[in-house]
Amino acid sequence: MRTDDTGNDGMNGNFLHPSDSEIQKWMSNAFNMAKEALECGEVPVGCLLVYNNTVLGKGRNEVNETKNATRHAEMVALDQVLDWCSDRGMDPKVVCKSTVLYVTVEPCITCAAALRLLHVPLVVYGCKNERFGGCGSVLDVASGDLPHTGTSFKCVPGHRAQEAVDMLKTFYKQENPNVTKPKVRKEGIDPAGGSRTTQTEAAPLEDDRKMATSD
Amino acid sequence: MEPESKKRKGMEYDPDSWQVLPVLSDEMSDDVEFLDAFAAPITDKRQTSRLVKDLSAVHPISDLQHIRRVRPCKDKSSPHPLEVIVCLVSDVPHIKGRPASLGDLLSSDEFNLEGLGEPFPVRIPARAPLTRPQFEQASLHWPTSFHEDKRITLGLKGQLFTSRQKTKIHEYMTLAVEAAKSGREEGMDAVGGVIVDPKSGRIVAVGHDLTRDHPLHHAVMVCIDLVAWAQGGGVYGYEKHPACTYAAMDHQVQTGASGSVENAQPYICTGYELYVTREPCVMCAMALVHSRIGRVFYGVPSPDGALGTKFKIHCQKGLNHHFDVYQGVRRRSCEELVQLT
Repeated sequence: MRTDDTGNDGMNGNFLHPSDSEIQKWMSNAFNMAKEALECGEVPVGCLLVYNNTVLGKGRNEVNETKNATRHAEMVALDQVLDWCSDRGMDPKVVCKSTVLYVTVEPCITCAAALRLLHVPLVVYGCKNERFGGCGSVLDVASGDLPHTGTSFKCVPGHRAQEAVDMLKTFYKQENPNVTKPKVRKEGIDPAGGSRTTQTEAAPLEDDRKMATSD
Repeated sequence: MEPESKKRKGMEYDPDSWQVLPVLSDEMSDDVEFLDAFAAPITDKRQTSRLVKDLSAVHPISDLQHIRRVRPCKDKSSPHPLEVIVCLVSDVPHIKGRPASLGDLLSSDEFNLEGLGEPFPVRIPARAPLTRPQFEQASLHWPTSFHEDKRITLGLKGQLFTSRQKTKIHEYMTLAVEAAKSGREEGMDAVGGVIVDPKSGRIVAVGHDLTRDHPLHHAVMVCIDLVAWAQGGGVYGYEKHPACTYAAMDHQVQTGASGSVENAQPYICTGYELYVTREPCVMCAMALVHSRIGRVFYGVPSPDGALGTKFKIHCQKGLNHHFDVYQGVRRRSCEELVQLT
């Protein structure tokens, strides 16, 4: 596809694909954030943006307090990266092109588009976001042919997916005990070689209002 | 706020000179798909009900509920007033497009061919039409049932809105155009938006592109945050941008258009309308889904637009909130803004 040519710009130059141990380290960090959020009764999604082995942005969902439905963890973390750049007089595009997003749940369509617009080249995530996912679950904004919407990015899905799903399930059970247990569609058995996606499972379904805070 | 259009009334504005057109789902806007079939004249009218019954047993078309098996012959001079679908071409794979005789389609040992003439190829609509244009296109080939949605029919003719409604739509878009120009003067992209509560007619937020300050602050994202401010939330400051404004809610009560007083604690953009000079991108379109916008009007399409051009997020299957989208409002002014950017 055409975007593959332009889409990998960020992979060239000084951007190095993270090693497995780096992925494990940062994802473990993101999962700890999600656990903390869960313990505080907040949406259990953790995310961090890492540039040259430095965490530039750490976000948690801020939809309820801001009454702005776009304040997902990723958007909050991206703002921190932009602030970091402006404090140092650095070009956000240059910095973002070497920045990786680690997040426990697949980014939604809005966040995926935002990541494109900022030229983030790689997203590592835990479970799928079946209701709003922008990296293939609902739409594939990540690699779509959108020449006027920044740069396409690559995904490493399925990292500790079951754990990420379980946290979301626990959260929504606490949040609303009256709601009957939502149906969770288990993914089929993955084809051979898909070691990273074998854990992929859908996030549970929630009612509308809560979902606005959770994706 | 005094709408610009009032001052200019008579000069450039005439509600009958422009159209607001709906942006419909692919299923509604695509051309009708057809299936190839064979039909045959009914040469003996008295055999009609028996033939339909027997044909339905041998070659059922039960998954094509919208199709009428029998139609009146289009050629009025024909000696046989009725024609019937014998089978789909896919039912008789051995025919391979050759002109078929009845015997190829129906075994004369098992089927009573009495009253049936020689078959001929026809095309029948593959699914029920959803709009009047689809119905008219489908009916040229074979009769089909059609459950008309009058709103869609009027919308496609550009007649859904009354002159008075169009005047309001024009006014709101004028505010969006003015906001875009203010943004342009600050060196931003010339895109503006307005969010309105249609029940009260209250303008909740007016905003414009701020991407020179923040790469994600498209006009729609700015408007959504301004609505949050109007509801006691909000994230970013807009002091430096005088054209970005919001009207704070009266927290106690709100009077609806009906005159009834309701305890309205609005939930983000539920029931609100957005007027924006150009089609939102995918980030903004999905932000409108998250915000539960009521409906959207835009001026002109954009190359990666997500409410009609590249995606139709407003009717995307799998999402839990859908809304109506209309385009073509103040098209010329909005096109001029695109030239500025």
